[in-house]
Amino acid sequence: MIQLHHVHLSYPGESTALSDVSLRISKGDFVFLTGPSGAGKSTLLKLLYADLKPTRGQVLIDGQNLAMLSKSQIPYLRRSIGVVFQDYKLLPTRTVLENVAITLEVLGWGKREIGQKVYQVLKRMGIADKVNAYPPRLSGGEQQRVALARALVNDPKILIADEPTGNLDDANKEEILSIFKEANVRGTTVVVATHDRRVIENSHRRVIRLEKGHVVEVVDEQK
Amino acid sequence: MNKNKAKGAIRPKQAREGFFGKFGYFWARALTNFKQNLFVSMVTVATITLALLLTSLFLLVYVNLQGMAEGWSEKVQITAYFDKEPTPLAAAALRTRVEAIPGTKKVRYVSQEEAVQRFRKRLKGQESLLEGITADVLPSSFEITLDRDHRDGAELDRYVKALKKVAGIGEVQYGEEWVKRFNTFMNFVRIVGAVLGTFLALAVLFIVSNTIKLTVYARKEELEVLGLVGATRFFMKAPFLIEGVLQGALGAVLSLALLTGCYYLFLNNAGNFLSVNPAAYGILFLPPAYLAAIFGGGVFLGFFGSLASLRRFITI
Repeated sequence: MIQLHHVHLSYPGESTALSDVSLRISKGDFVFLTGPSGAGKSTLLKLLYADLKPTRGQVLIDGQNLAMLSKSQIPYLRRSIGVVFQDYKLLPTRTVLENVAITLEVLGWGKREIGQKVYQVLKRMGIADKVNAYPPRLSGGEQQRVALARALVNDPKILIADEPTGNLDDANKEEILSIFKEANVRGTTVVVATHDRRVIENSHRRVIRLEKGHVVEVVDEQK
Repeated sequence: MNKNKAKGAIRPKQAREGFFGKFGYFWARALTNFKQNLFVSMVTVATITLALLLTSLFLLVYVNLQGMAEGWSEKVQITAYFDKEPTPLAAAALRTRVEAIPGTKKVRYVSQEEAVQRFRKRLKGQESLLEGITADVLPSSFEITLDRDHRDGAELDRYVKALKKVAGIGEVQYGEEWVKRFNTFMNFVRIVGAVLGTFLALAVLFIVSNTIKLTVYARKEELEVLGLVGATRFFMKAPFLIEGVLQGALGAVLSLALLTGCYYLFLNNAGNFLSVNPAAYGILFLPPAYLAAIFGGGVFLGFFGSLASLRRFITI
């Protein structure tokens, strides 16, 4: 599903962010990406949804070499990838329904189908009663669930999350993780960047450890 | 890998994609955005309104100055005296020849009697001066008015030369000094108008485009999210552009309404008060073509202001 071959990335005028990173994440995998701040976790995630291009090396998603994608093709790649951020990136002037609906509107869904699908996914997240609320009125955990709903509403092939539990208490962390697991069970490949050891240790999933732009360790807890 | 295959491998294109399939959606989205960002939208509309109001007031002044100039230039009149008093028949023949000169608008014959009467009128109260003066003393003449294009500078000189060549025409008077001063004044007005107009247009462009840039900047998160969930560039831009056009059109309509209000409240009768316009039709309102241009300007500002700002924030 995801393959990186000898990927190098350096920001102009700065030191190298990623250096000779090669990895393979199979379809249906659940992978944690970990490492200290500045290790290159976010950079690696950005490569996956084509927000950045590698300086050298190749990134393949579902067999497709992202280097070959033109700018106008990037949106079509992103429609198969759900992305979640630590700061949620919800639109404060739009309701929960409208925030989640964006993903389906982009795909050209009708209003009615959107309403039904969004309600289903919010129910799955346990926040169906917040459908008409505005994000600033929600708690951190609820906001993260709305962000997750937006990422998962079109059943993406890949779910990418950058520090999704960073701002949450333990109970919320558990719940968010269980949503990731559920999505994974449904067939979505999940890649979560986090430096939260407890989250990783309790999950028993494959862990890729980055340090200073290098992959230093790959631990497959399931084996 | 060809383009279609690349798209197909990821996700097929949906049936409602493309401009017409989504037009209803874009329109609704633009209106909702307008409402959801009411304050920012109103600031943009107000900026466009004020900018266009300034422009239209400037145009109003310019149009009226031109009207005034037109009125004044009507005063450019040539008086052609005859070598010797012509018989009515000879005068008619001369008139035909003068009318044949390009640029002639109207030729009026002023007889000796009429000339004396005019003179008397002018010296009203001092009639004693005119005692013993008969009509023969003053010559008869042609008073010639010219087409608009022949009233100034070189064209006028050329006309006078042609007139002097007509056999039977003697002295020609046309207030040379006055025409020169008038032309200098008009050139000055044109230059000042062009300079002020250019500065005004630049200021309007700068202010409006920066206001729109700020409004787009205020919503850069929206663009970012749209980009992340796979919106195409067109999908992201379309509602913003519709919004820009709406704001521009609304601003233009408001500015024209304010201009009309100002005109009828304050300016309509000011002409009489100032009595600067020789035609005495007061201050003119802008002709329909100008009003249409101002409306078009508003729409243009809204559309291209948004387009230019979006470029900065849409990275795909």
